[in-house]
Amino acid sequence: MVPKEERLTIWYDEMDGNDFNFVGKKNANLGEMMKAGIPVSPGFAVTIHCMDKFTADTGIKEKLSKLITTSGEVSFEVAKPASDEAIRLIQTTEMPDDIRNDIVSNYRKLCEKCGVENVPVAVRSSGAVSMPGQMETYLNIRGEKDLSDYIRLCWTSAYNVEAIMYRMNKNIPFLFNIGVGIPKMVNSRVSGVIFTINPINGDPSKISIDASYGLGEAVVSGFVTPDTYLIDKIVMEPVKTVIGSKEVMCVYKEGGSDIVQVPVPEEKRGVACLTRQEMLELARIGKLIEDYYGKPYDIEFGIDADMPFPSNVIILQVRPESVWSKKEVTAKTEAKKDPMDRLLGTLLTGVRLK
Amino acid sequence: MAKFMDPHDVPTIPGTEGWERMYPYQYQFTKDDPERAAYESNQIWYYDGLHYPTPHHPFDLLWDEFWYLGLSQYNTRHWIIPPAMGIDHRIVNGYVYISPVGVANPEEIPNRVPHFMERAGYYFQNWNDLYENNWKKKMTKIIEELEALNFSDLPEMEDISVVKNGLGKGSGYELLKKYDDLIDLGLQCWQYHFEFLNLSYAVQVTYFQTFDQLFPGIPMATLTKMSAGFDPILFKPDAELIRLAKLAIELGVDQLVLKPMKADELLKTMAEDAVGKKWLEEFEKARYPWFHISTGTGWFHTDQSWNTNLNIPIENIRTNINALKAGKTLGRPTEQIVAERDKISSEYRNLLKADADREAFDQSLGLARLVLPYAEDHNFYVEHWFHTLFWAKVRQVGKILANAGFFEDSEDIWFLRRDEIKQALWDLCTGWATGVKPRGPSYWPKEIEWRKGVYEKFKEWTPPAALGTPPEVVTEPFTIVLWGVTTNVLDTWLKGSEAGEGGGDPNTIQGSPGSSGIVQGRARVLKSIDELADLKEGEILVATTTSPSWAPSFVKIAGAITDVGGPMCHAAIVCREYGLPTVVGTGKGTQLIKTGDLVWMDGDTGVVKILERA
Repeated sequence: MVPKEERLTIWYDEMDGNDFNFVGKKNANLGEMMKAGIPVSPGFAVTIHCMDKFTADTGIKEKLSKLITTSGEVSFEVAKPASDEAIRLIQTTEMPDDIRNDIVSNYRKLCEKCGVENVPVAVRSSGAVSMPGQMETYLNIRGEKDLSDYIRLCWTSAYNVEAIMYRMNKNIPFLFNIGVGIPKMVNSRVSGVIFTINPINGDPSKISIDASYGLGEAVVSGFVTPDTYLIDKIVMEPVKTVIGSKEVMCVYKEGGSDIVQVPVPEEKRGVACLTRQEMLELARIGKLIEDYYGKPYDIEFGIDADMPFPSNVIILQVRPESVWSKKEVTAKTEAKKDPMDRLLGTLLTGVRLK
Repeated sequence: MAKFMDPHDVPTIPGTEGWERMYPYQYQFTKDDPERAAYESNQIWYYDGLHYPTPHHPFDLLWDEFWYLGLSQYNTRHWIIPPAMGIDHRIVNGYVYISPVGVANPEEIPNRVPHFMERAGYYFQNWNDLYENNWKKKMTKIIEELEALNFSDLPEMEDISVVKNGLGKGSGYELLKKYDDLIDLGLQCWQYHFEFLNLSYAVQVTYFQTFDQLFPGIPMATLTKMSAGFDPILFKPDAELIRLAKLAIELGVDQLVLKPMKADELLKTMAEDAVGKKWLEEFEKARYPWFHISTGTGWFHTDQSWNTNLNIPIENIRTNINALKAGKTLGRPTEQIVAERDKISSEYRNLLKADADREAFDQSLGLARLVLPYAEDHNFYVEHWFHTLFWAKVRQVGKILANAGFFEDSEDIWFLRRDEIKQALWDLCTGWATGVKPRGPSYWPKEIEWRKGVYEKFKEWTPPAALGTPPEVVTEPFTIVLWGVTTNVLDTWLKGSEAGEGGGDPNTIQGSPGSSGIVQGRARVLKSIDELADLKEGEILVATTTSPSWAPSFVKIAGAITDVGGPMCHAAIVCREYGLPTVVGTGKGTQLIKTGDLVWMDGDTGVVKILERA
């Protein structure tokens, strides 16, 4: 077995958070989530070492190292031509066969695993150090040729002007390698948002799921009324389901990464877009994420049409819940000196009819 | 809020004129006292479909009268529940309507508080002692007295011992006295029925409302899970049948038990078998009292018990034997239920951040756990054990009157009010004493025939859900917990009354949530307990009500729908124990759904939809 630091690609389910030096932070985070049992879209990372090997074996490392020989702060006038030349060098240099074969064989395995020919993937840069200008993400990349082209395109982002200036200001050398993440594009039949509390009243015993057809933009941007599912977090039983109108959905334009709105077929609007099984699986994962991070979370998910349950349930993004978590703790009940006093209080109040 | 139809305006069904005489006079809505009439118009009266899916036979109304007295008296005269008085009763075209009564002058409420605190406080402080050592003894005593009561035909001449012992009283006197004793025992039983019940319901209101504040929308099933966990008596009969099934296998007589024979035949066969005899001994032991469990609610003379139809428990024992042999584990896993109760309670409690909330949690859950054993167990003593014995005794009286020519059939007795039976017995006794034919044989058959006709017309009538004027606030604990009267429920009733009969979607039925879960399946409508054997795997059981005695069938069905019951009714509690999705209180589910219909049901919202007709 090749040690991790010498590998060119590493699957998400083989890595954890400590591997960011090999695969970059974004990739390592996904690995960490997978390790915690949080299902992210399947895929693999092209390692930082792989980019280094690519530049070394093709001889461009030597050329790159000569573009800026000083260390420390650089001016835009210095950084700009160096950036242009570095990007040109990376883009015009063919990938050596051993590197290409490694990546392509992983891609084929991914296609097989998903049961989709030329499965669309995202190609995302992932640096060991976060820096501006390195946020490149290419969506809906299909086929072996495009994949290796876009990986090189992604690598070029390490030499964006902003990236160069930012890192050299921090005394990080000009020569710099990044990792690339290759997750399957989630072919969202349904997507939405999970809150691990009830966002309406802050009730911590509930999990709330908003879900609608297509890509998550429709729910996140609020141009559809999604279904809302409220689930009791302790006994994991649905408490309330409200069916939303769900008139439109967002989908990728054929073959590209542009998003368009299309109408939802009439007969699908009035019914729940999640199956009971999917809803309960999402609730289970929501609880898992909350337990893992130790606080309420706000989670984006997709239900992948290409995969069978439960591997179709994919977590896209997680962040701490920000509204109720910041509020001061206030009691929801009145203080009573003893059980009898509480009983009396209830009897005197009764049930108000309108 | 809108009003319902004025109770005085409900039309009499043509051909039933004079029906009022079948029931006590004070049950009628009348306008002869303007003050009473105004009171009646200003109250909300709702049809007690929870207990009564059918119109009342005149005799069966006695339980209604007894709880009218018992429930109300405990609210008003024993506990002095500060804002609530009793529950008033009326009858319309054979159907019972009830109405919670509030304290008329709100300024009086604070004066009632110290009395309530002292009285209820005493019971809460001494709950277990009063229940275990006092109540259970009293109940067992009156059950023994009831068992000892036996009725037989009047003798041609008094036994010589009556003379020689200087008894000085005759059989006519004994018959009249024993009938009084019978009714009196029934009344005592229903006095005891409410000794703890009003406070139990007050506790449940507190528990439900506090937990709903802490965790809005917390499922009812979860609330019962958190307060459950002891060993309820209601599960004992089922446990006995499992024990008998295991014993049959152990003794090697299981094949014998499984032979398709009627109960009496089987028991005879067992008695003739050396090993079978041993099993039979245990079977007989289990019968008293555990087979006194009713297959219905126990409220009606038509409800059978296992003891009145031994085919039912024997069929269940057979099901158990087959299940055990197939390697299934039977029974109620008490330890597991207790473990789950403690686990989920602590998980909910851990979510609470404020001290006041944790205290509210502990106080109300503590109360709920204190009262639950009584809340669940009293039904076995009263509606099952006592009622089963009681119906049998009344049937003895029916036979005497039938033998004397008062009735064509001893079952005609149910068409007489209980005070009319006393009158008829007087007629019988004076005739017997004087040696003259009583008037009964020429009076009752005609009257009973007319009453039977009226009763059939009542059955065809659909009682409106509610009458009169809804109040702003309901404070009566039973009305809140047992009947679940809320704004939503009133809205549903109003919609129903606006749409009239047959209004709305005939394929959608609204009931109450009983036990959580959504399922779909073919319906099996059970009109009688004998049809239980027809149930097939995955079917949805539709019945007037369910009883714990049906438990063995619960393992194969997908869900249950009942005509009567609220979220805290026995059927709902039992179905939750079995994790069976259930909708209760649909009113007319057994009439609207037909066997073989494809039905969708949601135990969380109480909605039932008929997707496809058979």
